[in-house]
Parts: sequence; structure tokens; C-alpha cells
Amino acid sequence: MELNYWWILPLAAATLTLALARAARRSRGRDVRPVAHSGRLTALPQYRRALRCRRRWLTTAVVAGFLLLTATALAAARPAERSTTQPELRNRDIILCLDVSGSMAGTDAALTGVFERLAKEFDGERIAMVMFDSRAVQLFPLSDDYDYVAGELAAARKAFDDGGDDFFSGTWGGNGSSLVGDGLASCLRSFPGTGQDANRSRSVILATDNYVSGAPFFTLEQAAQLATPKGIRIHALNPGDLDYGGDRNQPGARLRAVAESSGGSYFALDNPAAVPGIVQKVQEGEAAAHQGAAQLVVADRPELPLLAALLSGAVLLLAGWRLER
Amino acid sequence: MASLLQQVQSKMFIFAHRRALALLDGEYGSVFKGRSLDFDDLRPYTPGDEVRDIDWKATARHGSPLVKRYVAVRRQTVLLVADTGRNMAALAASGECKRDIAVQALGVLGYLAHRHGDVVGLVHGDAEVSRTVPPRRGEDHLERLLQEVDRSAVLDGGPSGIARQFDFVLRNFTRRMLLVVVADELLPGAATEMLLRRLQARHEVLWFTVRDAELAGPVVADAFEVADGSGIPSAIAADPRVRADYLQARTEREQRRQEFFRRLGIAEGRAGSSTEVLPELFALLERHRTRTSHRTRASHSSGRTTSPEGRQHAG
Repeated sequence: MELNYWWILPLAAATLTLALARAARRSRGRDVRPVAHSGRLTALPQYRRALRCRRRWLTTAVVAGFLLLTATALAAARPAERSTTQPELRNRDIILCLDVSGSMAGTDAALTGVFERLAKEFDGERIAMVMFDSRAVQLFPLSDDYDYVAGELAAARKAFDDGGDDFFSGTWGGNGSSLVGDGLASCLRSFPGTGQDANRSRSVILATDNYVSGAPFFTLEQAAQLATPKGIRIHALNPGDLDYGGDRNQPGARLRAVAESSGGSYFALDNPAAVPGIVQKVQEGEAAAHQGAAQLVVADRPELPLLAALLSGAVLLLAGWRLER
Repeated sequence: MASLLQQVQSKMFIFAHRRALALLDGEYGSVFKGRSLDFDDLRPYTPGDEVRDIDWKATARHGSPLVKRYVAVRRQTVLLVADTGRNMAALAASGECKRDIAVQALGVLGYLAHRHGDVVGLVHGDAEVSRTVPPRRGEDHLERLLQEVDRSAVLDGGPSGIARQFDFVLRNFTRRMLLVVVADELLPGAATEMLLRRLQARHEVLWFTVRDAELAGPVVADAFEVADGSGIPSAIAADPRVRADYLQARTEREQRRQEFFRRLGIAEGRAGSSTEVLPELFALLERHRTRTSHRTRASHSSGRTTSPEGRQHAG
């Protein structure tokens, strides 16, 4: 809390002192009647009562007047709160890129469940979902219609839970299964290219175990190269990391390399229940990476002095009315 | 400085025409009576003279009323006893300074005494000190007395305490004389009452009260007590409930004062403004006369069998 015009306070104090001095001088010169035997009046209980009452109201009036002056002077000095804020990033685009081969059902369900929840809190973010097996299918494009998104995600989660084959039928019929490279490429292509969207932060959450059977058009690494020019980060979730030893060609290691080279992160999952924690971590990481410049915010905060002024003004009016009667 | 006596006289002559003044002279003359029964001569009746003093036989012979004059009537000493503490610098009921009204009363009485050829002395002061001007004759002397009172009763003077002046008179004046006490609406205590009783045994005592300012009511200015400087806010003084209580308390206080004077048998007059002084003084003298005439008549009737002189004059 600080004052923009602090010099108003000494000014107000000086003015008050001057006014008091003037009033005192004037009251000294005022006509006062000398009387004798005032005990005739002052000894009366009624007089004492009236005097006590008057003294009380006078004290009240003086205190209220002083408070009123102080509060208005404070308000006139413009108390302001100076704070630095880190504007939260609300312009993210997130694409859920889910491998829907049979082994992934639990993770996918957990992931869609988390995003279904998150979608309700989103404000400005856009989210899309692509699922792939041997072919990639975009369930819904980047959208900030959160009701729609939540509906779609709920349907997807239900399908993952129930193993609803109809839902995934578009992802079959390709050349093999679990073609991760093709799926990732489709996801990365789902981001709009240019225009005002270009400066939004982009990330892909890729859930796959990276066990490819068949011949994809893109290898994982080739697909990942598409991410670099668009500045897309890939966060990989692997529920079936069975890597053993330091061989770089194992599926888990390759996935990790791809994710980290794009600036994203890699998580090996033991249990679908860990998904919410991981999503949270990803979110925080994103926020940290995309923090806006700290901004200095100076906000006037006159509420308290003005409220005090209002109250003391009311009390002063009441006291004045009582004293005038 | 304008002559105070002239001011007093001008006020006297404005408010009372010549006949009223003659009446006042007569009243004053009959204040001293019953002290000596030595017959001196006859003089024409003046309104205000006691009817009892008319010599009916001489009147019948002469054709116009004649009054018997006694030796003792001629020369008297009048001692003015005035409070000149700071109470007398406060305001009177009319809003004038009480001192001015006191000076007016003292001046009128002094002037009457002067016209009568009496000597006038002054004892005045406050609770701490008493001052005296010995009895003498003459307008200059009277003027000096008035100036002294006027000069002494100021706001930064000592606190008022008339008992001290009574004590002073008791100790310093033994010859019988007429005491005229001029004070404000004080409520005398037991000690003052004792002093007054002793004074009354020795002297004729008249009491003239200068009425104090009203304290409660729609007054415009705040007031302060001259004794201790404490203030009375006008807002409280104007409070109708306070005013009602005050009026009741004032009535009770006045009753106690009246009771006090009745108990001591002292005639009291009171004025709240300088215009009231003359009629009030007149009423005071009248009251004193009727009171003493009762007393002397009582002593006459009791002394009739034993005193041949008394019988002679009563007849």
C-alpha cells in the first residue's frame, strides 16, 4: 500500500492546524457572560445529566470529524496497491494424440477423463483430439467450445472404458497397427499454420507405447521433425515402457528422445491412476515455459478510507444533529 | 471620568419626578424613628411621613398637616456595606453589570442621606479584605465612595464574601447607625446569620439585593462562573427540562432567602436593573418603616405604665 500524492497529508494537517488556531482565536474573542452563583444551575442533577450527554456527543463529534478529515485526506492522497503479476498464459493449443491400440485403453480413458475435467476450467485454451491405430482420426479439431469438447471427451472415455469398437472403426484398415509415426504426424498437422494463431503455444500430448507393427509412412523421428518449425512441444506418456538397458533403439528410449528433442517431456506410466498427476506436471511445465513478462500493476485502493469517511461522516451528522437540538 | 453621583442623580430624576422624590425623602426620614422621643419642633407633613407622627392638635390649629420632629431625627450616620468581590462584576438580571446597579442603589441612598444632612461611610471588600471610608458629609465624599465601589468590584478582584465585611463592621463600629447592605442574591449561611443578628442588635439594618442574571433560558452566549471560571454552555442553559428544574430550584432558593430575612426581621429590597432601583428602594424603606413601627409600638405599649415620658408623648 502506498500513496500517490503523499504531500496531501502534511498539507491537510497544516490546514487543519491553521483552522483550529483560527477557531480558537475567534472563540477567545467571543462574548461570554460573567455570572455569579452559577451553582443555582450547575448543581441541578438535570443540568449535570445534560452536560454529560453534551460532552459525550461533543467528544463523538470531534473524534468523528477528525476521522472524517483523516480518511478523506488519505483518500485524496490516492492510496494504491503496487503489485507485479505474471499474467497466466491462456493462449495454449493442446492436441491429445492417443494411440488406441488395445493395450492403451486404460491410459487413454484416464487421459480423456483428466482433460474432460480440465476442459471445464479452461478459459482461452483450445484443445483437439486425434486418435490413431493404423490410421489417424481427428475426433474433434482445436476448439474452445468447452461444452462440445467435454461432450466429445466423455464419449471417448466411455468408448475407452467399454471397448466400444464402433467408435474406433475409422482407425483400422490401414497398413498394420499402432503406426505411431503416422499418428504423430497427423496430430502435428492438425495445428493451424499461420496467422494470429501462430503465436499461441502448442503442445501435443502423445500417449503411446511405441510398439509399431506394420510399415508407417513416417517413422517416429520423421514425424517429430514436423514439430520443430511450428514450435510444437511433444509430451509423451508411455504406459508400457519395457526398455531394458541403454539401447537407444528400444521403443521407450526413442519416444523419450523424440519428446525431449521437441522441448517436451517423457513419462513412463506404471498405472493409469498416475495420469492426472502427470497432466498437472505437464501443465505446470507449459506455464513455466510460456510465462509472460512480469507486469507492474498499480491499482487505486480508496475503498477503506472512503468507507471510513462515509461512516465517520454519518456519525458526525448524527452528533451535529444531537448537539443542535 | 464622568461623575458617578451625577449619573445616579440623572437616573433618579429621569425615573422619579419631584413629588416621588419628596416621598422618598419622607420615607428615608422615617427610617430613623423611635430611637429618641425628645420632641424638637414641628414641620409640615411630607407624603411618606408616618401618619402616627402627625400632631393632630397642631394640625387642627394650623390648617395643614404638621409632623412632630424629634431631636434624634436630625443627625444620623449611614454606613453603606457593599460587596465588591468579583461576584459584583458579574451580570445582573437585566444584563447590566451588578456593580452598576449596586452603585446606583448606593448612590440613591447616599444622596438621600446627604439631603438629610447625614454622614455617610462605606465598608466594602471581598472574602479576603475589607476596606473602609470613614463617615463624612458632602457630595464630594459621596462621589468618592461610589468611585471606590466602582473601582473595586472587578472581574479579577477577590472572591465575594460579605460575612467578612459584617465582621469588620462589628469590630469597628460601635455607635448606632443605619447599615445599608448591598449584595447580590447570596444565600447567607449560619455564620453570616449570627453576625447579622449581632449587627442588628446594634444597628438598623437594611438589605438591598442586586438580582443575579438568569442562568437558564434562551440565552445567546455561553456563560462562565466568576468564582472559578467554569463554563455554562448556552445549549444546555436553553434545554427546556434544565430550565424547568432551574426555575423550580430558583423559586425554592428565593423562598429560603425570604425566610432568612423574615427570621431576622430585616427588610429586604431587590432590583434586577438600575431602573428598578428607585421604586425598590422606596418599597424597601416602606417595608422597614412598617416593620419598625410594629416593633416600636410594641415597646411603647409595654413601657407605658413605667415611663412617664412615654406616656406623655403617646398622649
